[in-house]
Amino acid sequence: MAEKIVAFRVKRYRPESGKAPFYQEYRIPVRDDTVVLDGLNYIKDHVDPTLTFRWSCRMGICGSCGMDVNGAPRLTCGTFVKDVDRGGVTVDPLTGFDVIKDLVVDFEPFLRHFLHVKPWIVRETNKPLSEGEYLQTPEEMEAYHQQSLCINCMLCYAACPVFQGNAKFVGPAALALALRYSRDTRDEGLDERLGRLSTRDGIWACTFVGECSVVCPKAVDPAGAIQSLKVLASIRHMRRLLLPKSARR
Amino acid sequence: MVEVPKLPWRRPGGWWLRNRRYMLFQLREVGGVLSAVYGVLLLVLLSQYQAGPDAYASFLAWMRSPPVLVPTAILFAFVLVHALSWFVLIGKTQAVMSAGRAPPPRTVIGLMVGLFAVVSIAVVYLVFGGP
Repeated sequence: MAEKIVAFRVKRYRPESGKAPFYQEYRIPVRDDTVVLDGLNYIKDHVDPTLTFRWSCRMGICGSCGMDVNGAPRLTCGTFVKDVDRGGVTVDPLTGFDVIKDLVVDFEPFLRHFLHVKPWIVRETNKPLSEGEYLQTPEEMEAYHQQSLCINCMLCYAACPVFQGNAKFVGPAALALALRYSRDTRDEGLDERLGRLSTRDGIWACTFVGECSVVCPKAVDPAGAIQSLKVLASIRHMRRLLLPKSARR
Repeated sequence: MVEVPKLPWRRPGGWWLRNRRYMLFQLREVGGVLSAVYGVLLLVLLSQYQAGPDAYASFLAWMRSPPVLVPTAILFAFVLVHALSWFVLIGKTQAVMSAGRAPPPRTVIGLMVGLFAVVSIAVVYLVFGGP
């Protein structure tokens, strides 16, 4: 397969040097099947070992290698250089996050939001083990399947101008996971989650830009999930307003 | 362990120029504010109608003057962008279930915009061309 030379323009931030961030250009050989992550690994292995970035599985599962490629958030392991080469490829750290070093961003804000939505099955009481598993029909599983595909790659946060302007916003992926668990027939945490999320920095901060669903590599559709949560929160609010306490559920 | 400073994130002023969809979003949001202005304009029109034929005719003449007509046309364009973009968004979110399945967003959007056009034509016919 023929090789050609492509210029990678990579954002560098070296906090220990005290220098301001800058772009560094590397000219590297690529083939038709070279992905952007391969290019970065080539630079790391053969040109500049000081370049720092995250990656792991190289197959779009782990969600570690998200970066801005030519200004758009992408998984670099699934982005072919030939598809984004416009006289070169520019790689930046994910938009919206503080940068720790070069292309490595600080995910701490996301992890806080992630825990806030209780992304696990919440139960008031567990049945005894002797009664067996909690069974589900294929239809019941289908209800949350789409949101369960999230790989926490944070591309949706990098695409969300609401999160970029307000880091307190719980954000697309965490909210999609809130819906995923709330739609699970084994879960009993919907009321508690809605109480936590029906707030100014929760679901109501979303102005439905919709870009989160455009960039999602797993078609999770976080924008749609947030609108579904808004409907559930509105129903919960009206029930609390109109019904006696004993009839609210 | 030595703590190294992080490079803090700051959203740039022109973020909405980054892609076409951000630009459309901003137009939709500005369109929301301008829809309210447009509503006020229509309320003033109604009050002039109530004030009598002379006041109404004089208000219409003022509305038709180029310094008012051009900004009003721009206002109307924003109202249209706002209304249409919300129709498109509704199609992407709360899909009506049909035979246990959600129809594709394109179908819902097409139906919404089609319904919008039919109702608009009916209103225009009733106001300006009805029997």
